[in-house]
Formats: sequence, C-alpha cells, structure tokens
Amino acid sequence: MNTSTILYLLGVAVVLCPTMLVVGLGLPLLFGRPLTESTQTRLAKGCAYLGLTSAVAILITMLITGIREVPIEFGNWVEVHEEGFHFHLKLVFDRLSVPFAILSYVLCGTAGAFANIYLQGDRGYDRFFILYAFFMLGIIVSTVAGTIETLFFGWELVGLSSALLVAYFHERPGPVRNGLRIWSIYRFSDAAFLVAALLLHHLTGKGDFDILMGEGTWPNGTAVITSWQALPVGLLLLLAAAGKSGMVPFSGWLPRAMEGPTPSSAVFYGALSIHLGTYLLLRISPLLNASPTLSFAVVVLGAISAISGSLMARVQNDVKNSLAYASLTQIGVITVEIGLGLRYIALIHMIGHACLRTLQLLRAPSFLHDHKAMENAVGIRLNTNDCAVPKTTSPLQLVVYRFAYERGYLDTLIDSFLVQPFVKLFRFFNECERSWTEALSGTKPDEQRQPSADLELVEEMV
Amino acid sequence: MLQDSSIPNSVPIASTERDQRIESIRSLVQRASHLLPSQGPIEEFVHHNTLHVYEDRPFHQAVLDGQKQFQAEPYLSEAKYRQLCAEERISDGDLKAVVASDLGEASDQIIAGLATREQIRMEMLCHPILDGSAAELQWIIHECNALTRFRPTTSEESQENIIRSTRSWVGKLDAANRKLLPELEELRSKIGHRRSTWNASDWETFALHSLWNLCLNGVEKLPRCEEKPLQFVRPRDVFLHTTGEDIDRTVNEILIRFCGAFLDQGFSDWHLPNRELGFLASFTSLHSHPSKGMPPWFRDVPQALSELSSSGITPEESIESSLSRLGIGEADREEFVSQTLLALGGWAGMINILETHRNKVGRPVPHGTLIEFLAIRLILEEHALRHLTRETTSSDGSIATELSHARKSIVHRDEIPAERRGFILFQLAQFLGWTPAQLSELSPEQWKELADEADSFPEIERRRTFHEAYERKYHDAALKAVLAHSHRVNHETQQSTQRPLFQLVTCIDDREESFRRHLEETEPRCETLSVAGFFSVAMYYRGAADSFFQALCPGVMTPNHYVVEDVGYTFERIHRDRTRLRRRLERANHAIHTQSRTFFGGIVAGIGGSLATVPLVARVLFPRLTARTREYFGAFLRLPPVTKLQLERYQSDPGPTNGHIGFSVDEMAENVVRMLQELGLLKPEDFSQLVIITGHGSSSLNNPHESAYCCGACAGKRGGPNARAFAAMANDWRVRSKVAEANIQIPDDTKFVGAYHNTCDDSFVFFDLDRLPASHRNTIESARVAIEEARRRNAHERCRRFASVSLTVSPQDAIRHVEARSQDISQARPEYNHATNALCVVGQRKWTRGLFLDRRAFLNSYDPATDDDDHSVLLRILSAAIPVCAGISLEYYFSTVDSKIYGAGSKLPHNIVSMIGVMEGTSSDLRTGLYQQMTEIHEPIRIQFIIESTPEALLSIMDRNESIGRLCRGHWVKLSVFNPETSEAFVFDGNEFQPLDVSLDELPEMTSSLECYQGSRANIPFYSIVEPPRHRSQPLRESLSEQQFGAAGAR
Repeated sequence: MNTSTILYLLGVAVVLCPTMLVVGLGLPLLFGRPLTESTQTRLAKGCAYLGLTSAVAILITMLITGIREVPIEFGNWVEVHEEGFHFHLKLVFDRLSVPFAILSYVLCGTAGAFANIYLQGDRGYDRFFILYAFFMLGIIVSTVAGTIETLFFGWELVGLSSALLVAYFHERPGPVRNGLRIWSIYRFSDAAFLVAALLLHHLTGKGDFDILMGEGTWPNGTAVITSWQALPVGLLLLLAAAGKSGMVPFSGWLPRAMEGPTPSSAVFYGALSIHLGTYLLLRISPLLNASPTLSFAVVVLGAISAISGSLMARVQNDVKNSLAYASLTQIGVITVEIGLGLRYIALIHMIGHACLRTLQLLRAPSFLHDHKAMENAVGIRLNTNDCAVPKTTSPLQLVVYRFAYERGYLDTLIDSFLVQPFVKLFRFFNECERSWTEALSGTKPDEQRQPSADLELVEEMV
Repeated sequence: MLQDSSIPNSVPIASTERDQRIESIRSLVQRASHLLPSQGPIEEFVHHNTLHVYEDRPFHQAVLDGQKQFQAEPYLSEAKYRQLCAEERISDGDLKAVVASDLGEASDQIIAGLATREQIRMEMLCHPILDGSAAELQWIIHECNALTRFRPTTSEESQENIIRSTRSWVGKLDAANRKLLPELEELRSKIGHRRSTWNASDWETFALHSLWNLCLNGVEKLPRCEEKPLQFVRPRDVFLHTTGEDIDRTVNEILIRFCGAFLDQGFSDWHLPNRELGFLASFTSLHSHPSKGMPPWFRDVPQALSELSSSGITPEESIESSLSRLGIGEADREEFVSQTLLALGGWAGMINILETHRNKVGRPVPHGTLIEFLAIRLILEEHALRHLTRETTSSDGSIATELSHARKSIVHRDEIPAERRGFILFQLAQFLGWTPAQLSELSPEQWKELADEADSFPEIERRRTFHEAYERKYHDAALKAVLAHSHRVNHETQQSTQRPLFQLVTCIDDREESFRRHLEETEPRCETLSVAGFFSVAMYYRGAADSFFQALCPGVMTPNHYVVEDVGYTFERIHRDRTRLRRRLERANHAIHTQSRTFFGGIVAGIGGSLATVPLVARVLFPRLTARTREYFGAFLRLPPVTKLQLERYQSDPGPTNGHIGFSVDEMAENVVRMLQELGLLKPEDFSQLVIITGHGSSSLNNPHESAYCCGACAGKRGGPNARAFAAMANDWRVRSKVAEANIQIPDDTKFVGAYHNTCDDSFVFFDLDRLPASHRNTIESARVAIEEARRRNAHERCRRFASVSLTVSPQDAIRHVEARSQDISQARPEYNHATNALCVVGQRKWTRGLFLDRRAFLNSYDPATDDDDHSVLLRILSAAIPVCAGISLEYYFSTVDSKIYGAGSKLPHNIVSMIGVMEGTSSDLRTGLYQQMTEIHEPIRIQFIIESTPEALLSIMDRNESIGRLCRGHWVKLSVFNPETSEAFVFDGNEFQPLDVSLDELPEMTSSLECYQGSRANIPFYSIVEPPRHRSQPLRESLSEQQFGAAGAR
C-alpha cells in the first residue's frame, strides 16, 4: 500500500465517520425504534474517535512525507451537459482543512461526551443526538470540501441542524421563534453563497477551489480570475460569511442562539458554527489576494464587527450573552487578520479562540462559584471595583452605552431594511398572481379568500 | 395620544387628595407584591413555601387560588394519578376511605334510585372519564367507537347486564307495541328489523345507542348550567384573544434587558448610566432619545418619557393616569396590577426582594423601585397596545374605546352544552351497569339529581381525592411503621445500659438519615443524634482562606457574633506567602476571564487559547482524575495544615474587628446548654467518651443552585464551622462549669470533635483532632474506621437513584462515582438533594434506629422525659423544624406539580444573569423555584410529622406558635403524635387529634440496608433491620486495605 492509498482511505474515513453516525442514529429513529441512550453514546464516541484518529493520521503522514495537498475525488454526482452544470463532489486535505477538521472532531467529541451526561433522561435526547450527528457531518464536509458545491452541501447541513438545535426546547415559543429567525438569516446568506457559486461556475467553468485558486497550495494560491471578476464573487461570499459568523449587520442572531441546551450553544455557536464564515474567507483567500478592494472590504467589515462586538460585550449582564459578543469581537479580529493577509495567524487564532470559548461556555453555569473563589483569594469585592464608567455620565458615554445596550439597533435595522421590503415584495407578487388568476379565470375579486393566515404567522415569527 | 390625555400637571389638585391617591396606588402595589415570588439572590437559596402568600388559608383552598391567580397546576394531572393507581401506588381502599370521609353521612345516599353517591364517585375515580368541549365530544361520539363499543374499562358484569336487559326491554316495548326513541328506531331499521338475526356487536351498538340517547334526552330537558364567562382584566389578554398578538413579548423584551442591567450586581464591565438616580430616571435617560433603530411601536415612547420627567409627576400618578387611559375600572385595579406585575413575575419579585431586604446584596435598589417598574411597564404596554390597535384596526381611537370594541367581539359561551353532561352520565351508566329500562323510567327530578351529582365531582375534585389517597397510603404506612418498629424495640431488644462507643450528632437533614443508618449498622456500639445543623451557634464566619464574613445560621436569624479562622504563629509566614500567591494567581485568572472578553485581551487569549483544550477535554472526560490532579498541584496553595478558630471574645461587645471577635464564656455556655437540651443529653451517663458534631454541605460544579444543596439551617451554606465551633465551646472547662450550673453534667472524659460531611461526594473531614488527648486515640480510630465504611455504603445507597450507575456497582466504585459526580461539569444532577422527602420524625433515635426510612425522613432528636411541663424544649425544636421542613417539602411539592410556573423548568438552558438568578436562554423571566432535574424523582406529597409527644402538648404549642398553628391547622403539613411505650398514636385532623385505631402488623425484616434497597431504583417500603450475628470485622478490614482512609483524613 503506498502513501496515496493510505491517505485516500484515511480521507474517506474522516468523512465516513459522521456519515455513519447519521445513518446509525437516524435509521432506527426513522423506523420508530430509537436506540438506548448508552448505545447512542457509544456510537457517537466511536465515530468521533475514529474520525479524529484518521484526521490526525493524515496530518502526521502529510508532515512526514511533505505532501501539502491531498485531493480526494468522488466524481460528478449530477451532470447537465447542455447547461454545463455539474455537481462535483471532491475533498481536499491541506494545511487549512486538516487542522480545522481535527479541531471540529475534538470539540464535537467533547460536546458529545458532555451532552451525554448533561442531557441524560431528557425527552429530547434522541433529537439532540441526531441533530448533533448532522451538525458534525456538515462541519466536516464543509471543512474538507474541495469544490464550492461540496462546501455548500455541508454549509446547509450546519445551518439546518444549528437552527433546529436553537429551537430544541420547542414547547416554548421563544426558542422556536429564535430558531426561525436564525434560519431566515442563514437562508439570506445562503442565497448570497449560491449566487457566488453560480457566478464562479460561469467565470471559471468549475467550482473547484484549486482551479479557481490556480497554481500552488493553500495559502500560496493565486487566483486565475481577474481582479474585477473576483470582486463580485468575493463580496457575495463575504456576505455569506458575515451571515454565518454573525458579523455586523447580522449579529442580532448571536444572543438568540443561546436558547438551546448549554453544550449546543457552547460548541456550535461559541466555537464551530460561528467560525465557518471566517473559514470560508480563508478558503477563498486567493480571491482576496487578487482584489485589494475586496481585501479592504473584508478588513472594514471585520473591524466594524470587532469594535461593535467589544462594546456590546461590555454591557451584557448575563454570562452567555457576554460570551456571545466576546466571540463576535474575536471573529471580527480574525476577519481583519484575513483581510490583511495574515493567514496562518488567523488560523491559529481561530483554533485557539474556538477552544477557549467552548471551555468558557461549558463552564458558564459555574460563574458564581468561580467568582466567589476569586473574591476570596483576591480579598476584595470584585464587583464594586467600578472604574469603567464614572458616576456622572457624559453625553458621549451615554451615546456609546446606548449603542452597545441596544446592540447597535441591528435587529430593527434588519427588520426594516431586509425583512419588510422582502415581505412587501412577495406580497406584491402574491397580489399580482391573484389579479392574473382573476383575469384569466374570470372570477370576481371578492370571491378570493383572504391572504392566508399561515403567511402572517410566518411573518410574525420572523 | 399620551400628550392629549389627562396628565394632571396643569390641574392643581388639593395636596391631601393627591396624597390619598398616591397612597392608594402604593397600597395596591404593596398588596400585589405579596403574590410575587419571594426567592432572593440565587447565591443564598433558602427553601420556602412557594404559596406562602396563601398560607393563612387551608392547603386545598390555597392551591385552587394559586391555580386561579397563576394558572398553575394544583395537583398532578389526573392521568398521572391513574398511572399511580395502575402501579398500585394509590390503592382503591384509600380512595374509598377519602371519598367516604369527604361525603360523611351522605355517602350512602342513593341518587335517582340507581347508586349511592359513594359508588358514583368511586366509578368516576376508577375509570378515565372522557370530557371536553362540545366539538371534541361530537368528534368522539361520531368518529370514534364510543357508541358501538363499551368503554374499555367497563366490567364484564355491567356489559352483560346492560345487553341482557336491553334485549328484554326492547322485547317488552315491542310486546306492548310502544315506539322507541326516533333515533333508536332509525338505528333498528339500519341493523335490520328482525332482532333474531342481530349478533353480539349489533346488540352492543344498540344498547349503547339506547343509553346515550336516553342520557342526552334526560339531560336536555334540564335547566342549563351557566358557564363562567371568559374574563380578561388585562387589555393584553383581550387583544391576545381577539388578534393573536401578544404585546407582552415585545414589552418584556425591553424590560428584561433593562432589569438585568439595573439589578446587575457587578457582572458587566460598564454599569448602567444614572443607575443611582433610580429605575425610572435611569430608564428615561437611556430611552429618551428617539432613534431610527427603535422598533416601530417604541417610537413614541421617548417623547412620553421626556414629558413624564419634565412634568415632575410621581410614578404613582403616572400609574394612575395609565390606569385610566387603559380603561381599568376601580374594581379591577387590584387584579390588574397583580396580573401586570406577574407578567414578569420573576424580575418584579427580585426587585421587590432587593428593595425590602436591602442587606441581601452589595447593590440594593432604592425603595419605590417596584412602583417605578410598574409605571414604566404601563407606559410601554400603552404604546404597544396603541401600535397594535393601529395595525389591526387601522383606527386611531383611544385604547379604552378600542378595548371595549374588542371586548364586545369576544363571544361568550355561557352555558355548558347538554352533550357534555349527558356524555358523563352515559359513561357512568356503562361503568355502573345502568340499563336502558332503568334510565327510561327516570323522572326529570331524578335526571337533575343525577346530573348534579356528576357535576359535583369535577376533574379538580377528582384530582384532590386522588391526591389525598396518594398521601394517605404513605402517611399511614409511615405512622404504622414507626409504631410497629418502636413496639419491637420496646419488647424485643433489651435496653443496653452500656455506654456508647461514640456519639455522632448530625443535622436533621433527610440526607443524613441513610448515613446514620449505615454508621449504626457498621458500628452497632455507636449512637447517633440530630439537631438543626447550625448547632445553636449563630455567627458571622470568615475562614482563613476567605476574605469576607458570611452568616452561618438559619435565614430568619441575624447573628450578633463574629468568628474567624486563624493560622497559628508557626504557620503564619507560610500562610501569608500562600495567600499572596493565591491572590496573584486568582488575579491573573480573573484577568483572563474578563480580559478574554475584550478586544485586545481577547486576541492574546485567543491565540494562546489552544491551551484551553487540555482542561476542556480533561474536565469533561476525566472529571475525577482532573480534580485529583488539581488538588495535588494545588497543595502549595492550600491552607496550612493547622488552623484554629478565634472563638473567645475579650472585649465586651461583639464585632468584626480584633478583640470583638467571638463569644464570651457565658454566651458559649448558653449555646451549649441550648443544644444539649434539645438533644436530651443532660445526665453524665448520657454522654459517651467521644461526641462527633457533624455539619454538612455540598459542593458541585456548573450548578448555579449549589446553595440549595447545602445546609438549610445555615441559610444555604456549609455547616462545618458551626460544628467545629460548638465542639470547641463544649470542650472548654470554663464553659462546662457554667453548663453544670444549668444541671447538665458533662463527664470529664467526654470530648467533642467537630466534623464536616459533604453530602455530594460523601467525604468526611474532622476538625482539630490534634487537640484530642491520647486517651481517646483508640475511640477516634474506631470511629474513623466505621465512618469510612458508612460513607462508602451511603454512597452505594445513593447511587441506586442515579440512572447512569449500574445497580450492581460495588461500594468502592460507588464512592468513586459520587466523587467524580461532584467534580463533573457536565452533571446536571450532582445529587438529588431533598427529593423524595416525605416525613419528619421528632423523638428519640432508639425508636427509629434500625428502621429503613429510604432517605425520605428528617429526623430530629427529642426526649420528652427531659422536657419541662411547658414543653418549652419541644416548642423550641418545632418552631425551627416545622417551618423549615414544611418549606422544603412544599417547595418540592409545587416545583414538582408544576415545574413550568412554580418551578424553574429544565436546567439545561439556564443562564446566570446579573449574578442574582437564572434565565432560560438570554431573554426570559427570572426562573424561581427548583429545576426539573432536581425534582424528577420526587413524590409530591405533603410532609408528615410524627412526634413523640402528647396531643395536649402539640395543641398548646400550636396555640403558642402562630406559624406552627397555621401550617398544621391549614393542612400544609400532616401531624401525628405517638407514645412508644403504649404504642398509641393520634392523628391531627385540623381541629383535634383522633386516636389511630388499627391493629399493628409486624414490619417485614431485613438483615441490612443493602438488602432493603438492592436492585431497585424506586421508592422502598419500610423495613425493620435486624442485626445479623456479628462477624462484621471481616468486610471492614477488606475495604480498608483498598484505600487507607481516603478522604476521611484529619485536618
């Protein structure tokens, strides 16, 4: 067996493990015979260990042999020759995807072990673990994706399972409403992603990253498209990344994501899901090299997010929210680093940040315990040590506080500049359709039924 | 609009009238505030009766009032009770007894010549009764097999009886040439006119149709019952009903965020601007600038707020004018204010607590904050309502007129449809085997009698009956078990006159019951006693590693004395160095925690963050190993091995500074006397050589409710220092000589030792063992050996309740498991706390020693022989025990029957906010009560007190202590007294004590606790544990070799 066969098998194993988990947990549920809690745990544990081992083995092999990129082909799954469309499944293991895959396995595995005890005996245990499996599959596929359509596939799985995990406590209206809102924002950024993918296909004829990025392995690739071609694609992908990572102006969904059980908010929002956007930016970094304008846009967006995030984090008074906005700050900083071309630093920062945040979120319920211990050791009441804002508040401070407190007014802005026009547009279409149908069928307008109640219900949720 | 309404700033009002109105609003809010949850900041969790506000009325009345006011469940669901019936946890005999005692004389009264009232009620309890809205019943009748098949639980006998008599009834009618009801004629023509061809199922269908139509006909002629019309006091409810839009959602979102910032005890880096000006002013300054970014309904609020602040009117006046603009009538005001505050009850309750108990937190809120909160809330509601009416009706009328329009549009169904009453009788007819012939003979009066009888036993009454029967089974069994066991003790075992090897005094806590039982099993020569776990030492305490004093005494007391833990001269230097090191490390830790959330700190922390993987993975996957490693490496930070309590005061007045710290000798003697009296230890022969005083507490990770698991008698803190202080006092010769003046002779060779038991990881630590003379060396060694084994067995008994532990686990693995459990950050149930508590026995331990109580009983030592004629010792014991145990029991009751409203819901999404409580997710009401994982194994029954005393004593105590009287007379707790010498018992029925007249059965016997509980996760019945022949030194030595002493090391 030569090295490339070994690498091929290991690569397949990395993706196969979560797939097996989805099948293993999903099929019994589908047939109404859920596995016992301990079997599910064993299955999840086995898959995480196996996947992690394979990913580490790839890393070691790559380090020993000096191979810097391992593509794994699964061929075209859909081909429409006339239109020149094809769905090309391909994985790439390189210096970017391997560390991130290892990170995903470590964090997912830890979260699984945590959730197994934390959720023990809960009614939604099965549901949590099947969503967990889908999430893991999604994150691994998007990590090692070699074509933009493969990435999109994983990206969608992550989005869907995350939104459903937010709505985990579906007997209360709050989590469901928040889950739906997150799902809508994801859809919006997905649309941008999809348009970018189509554009990319038009420009290069293919969605492969290595062709798009031209010669050289990550991060040294150079794009084969021109600067002006790169800009629209890059901007669309930036929009997609901003939605996924909760950057400004989409950061309103961050606190809403904390509705789920602690392990899912910790790992999925604190650590993995939220870094997927910056991961995408890293993946397309040759595009950034090709277009300075695009790089500038990335830096600006990152800087705005980082500054807003750090302001907002300062006024939060609950543990999970303050960690959510602290994550946003670092996501912004990472984005700036990417825009400035500091690829390796961004990668290290991303991995370190993900681990730290997961630990902090998982330990969040210990806050009072830890705080007391600290106070006793330090010998002063830590909370009376207020120097950040003096007693008399200056108008400027009030303005800054208000901005942070209102979370940059972003929710309302999105509502009035995105949701409302969108709803209005589709109401208009609805109206048009109705009048055409009336005209064609000759029925009178008053016989038409009222706009359906479902529509309003959905709007209310959004 | 706000500005054109009647804000009374231009109209001069006579100041007295104005004052009166302000006063009336204040008292409105004051009264409403009693309904709010009274749980304080979560760091000091004290169990209390969730429905404390209704404690002045009887329990069953109170739970119904609770249902009306809070929409909370009063009991478990009927389905749950039926399941308990099926599991035989509720017996038919108990149900019958409860029904009979409810009906009294009337139970044999025959209704409509068909059945007695008791029979009817019993049938309604034994069979699930289908009921529902008219539409639901229509569906059941027409789409299900309700009219073609008997209800599944109908007895064979009734079925046969009904079908047989239907046959003869139809035959007779035909013979007499009389017509059937039209519906039945129709059915007959459908099945076929020749009855001989009908098969069994045709007859079943026909019989059921006959019954149904007869019942329906019978009931339809009756005068209709009025149903209570829907009443909405809050405009929000009216519009929610008519439009489906909930304004509370948007209003709450604003208020939650603001309350979080306002009540913050120091979590956020930036404090709320102008917080010191108060709730209203601070809210105004934050929200008075209009901005595009505000949600549409909020856009007029800034203007309204600035007008409010410039007009100089008081919050009370603002409330008053809001009330009139919202069109709230004078009569509805109180209800409206209560409901409005309850819409965000957790936060409002916390404001109320922080305003009235200002010493609870570092940053209290000023008086009047709740009123300002209400004023703001009403202004917000007004704007939200206005926005809503504009959106939905596009009219611009005032809220009051819109409201009256909306109210008119609500259609009231004001009578119960005949189908509902008929269908219940139809089901009863099947269960009781009433025949069509019988029913067709009934007069309208008899139909009325029948229907009224069924109506008089609605779902809520049935649930109450189930509940009484549910409690009755356990309470009866418990009382009989205590009697039977004490009878056995009296007659079978000879009283040993030998001095006990050692005595162990614990808290009355139900979790110590099993520990004591195992200790007595391991070392039969020992004796255990119990008393409220602060051991009569109420103090502010500061440990050597602590920086602040904390009150260690029951929540209702305020200590006067201060005690600190000191390191001696020898270790002073080491201690200073270590304190400095600890301080530096924790400062760094604090910096990492807070700075990692900031911009630059975050970058550094993020880049080095990969290091966090190590603690992350280690803590989740190997909690026990991680904890041990931390402990090992933490050794250079720990306190020096020897510390002492600074317990004696040299200055006259107590205080927190040097010289003023501690107790005077007289005060110490007073404490010692008080506790020894409660324990009934007065004579020299009562004392053994060694008395171990054991405080308790609990430690767990990732548990915001950690304090709820600690000692209730120390207000949710750890009681070790109290035990240590008591032991030191009682060892003092000067104290002993003063104690002797109170006629309590402590023998010279008796030594007291303090200890601490952690109920979560079952560790056991002694204090100040070095002070013990060499003469006691052997005794303490045997005590340690016995305790080591007892804690292992105790852990084993606890593990049977944990679903993640196999039932075949060994004691050694069990103790390892509970140690890991307390250190596991992923554990939502570090221990089960007081869950399953149901009993409190006050009396001498000898009557309950060897009785398997399954960790469900609080035990309080009391010896009536040592009490005076006024029962003053019992009064003292009960004035602590009854309110405390009742508080625990009732909080568990309510959090179990309705975990959403009375309890805190599931722990999984909990999020600590403002350092005072938990929310679900990031924007919810503050959750009070107990969370669902804490109560999942609890049986929601009221606690029963079994007291070794006389009815007269208890009656006089009830008169003397108002709180005890209220709880006992209102049936909030069950009460009985027993006399172990005569095996008599009396049960309190709310007015007087009734003698218990039942023959006592022998309790089943077991040879050890292990045998009682082995292999089961469920609740265990009572057993007498009869000591097997002695060969117990064998297993002891075995387990010791495995692990030398373990955590039972001395400190």
